[in-house]
Amino acid sequence: MLRALDLANLPDADVVALALEGRDAAHRELIKRYERPVFSLVFRMVRDRELAEDLTQDTFIKVLSHLDRYRTDFKFSSWLFKIANNVAIDHLRRRQLDTISIDGSAHAMTSDAVEATRFDISDGSENALDEMEARELGSAIEQAISGLRPEYRSCILLRHVEGRSYEEIASTLDLPLGTVKTYIHRARQELRRALEHTRG
Amino acid sequence: MNHRHLLPNEIDLVVDGEAGFGVAPLRDHIDECAECRLRFEDARFVVDALESVPHFAPDSRLAERVMSQVPVFVPAHVAARDSVVRWLPRPGPARVAAAAIFTSAAGLLTLTVVWLATQGEAAVFMTGLLGDRMRGAVLGAARDLAGAVLGDSALAALMATGTVGVLLLLAGFVLTAVGTVAGIRRLATAGRGNG
Repeated sequence: MLRALDLANLPDADVVALALEGRDAAHRELIKRYERPVFSLVFRMVRDRELAEDLTQDTFIKVLSHLDRYRTDFKFSSWLFKIANNVAIDHLRRRQLDTISIDGSAHAMTSDAVEATRFDISDGSENALDEMEARELGSAIEQAISGLRPEYRSCILLRHVEGRSYEEIASTLDLPLGTVKTYIHRARQELRRALEHTRG
Repeated sequence: MNHRHLLPNEIDLVVDGEAGFGVAPLRDHIDECAECRLRFEDARFVVDALESVPHFAPDSRLAERVMSQVPVFVPAHVAARDSVVRWLPRPGPARVAAAAIFTSAAGLLTLTVVWLATQGEAAVFMTGLLGDRMRGAVLGAARDLAGAVLGDSALAALMATGTVGVLLLLAGFVLTAVGTVAGIRRLATAGRGNG
């Protein structure tokens, strides 16, 4: 009844309305539109592909199961990112993985702890795409991002990877606008220091 | 030249590409001040690096995994609407033709009903006339049939007795028919018993 081509041309609000009418294709269209941005955000937050897959799946299940709670005066993508960010932050709080870097947690006191928290770029890479992504997570900028506090990381990723405005980020993360500006400014400063060695 | 160096939030405004009317002087200052230009370029370098990071692709089966756990509920009014739509032809000439036929039939029916409503007396007269003619035709046919079966004199006698005569004739016919059938059955049964 509804062709994918038609759905692809509709704005988010219309696709959500069709999903609320029980259209399976509309649900799939929403997943198709946002699976990469959501997965990328979550992956950069938790730095574990398998875990990011699970958390992304949880995010979409939550969102699509509770579409009736979505308020149309809010941007759908902002609502989706808010849930994705909450899912990732909740996980980080539970696991306290916020400072893991490619070389292992800065808080690791023993060689075993370093090994346990080390991000192995070849581990678990079953195909070329995984390997490429692991390499990219190991790049200077990705390492620098991973060193940021989670709340800075969310803000800076939403601002510069997803291209969100400060106001959207504030509403997505339930933070005051001034706090968002401060977080982004501090994140940039930290990143600048972290990337200093890469500049000629 | 303005000798006050830019504040960090002013550098951020320029880096973010803000277009407010207060931003142009900040840009002008950056063009003129080597120290602020250096700070701006540092900030720009970070932003460029951030904006170059790619999106990652999740497993291709993500949608299937999600949909297997999402209950898709079709509201009753949508299901009802869908069942109606299912009967309609697909968009195109067939749907246009169906719409034209439906619209014509509905229009004709509406006009007829309106006309009948405005022609109440004429409708009652016409209905009565039609009923009289149908009754006359049926009675005439019955009379012709009875005359052919019973003969004109018997029919005249029957007409003279009225309803009672007709009922007696019918009762006699039924009794004769039942008696005949019973007699034939008895003869048939006796024949099989002897055989």
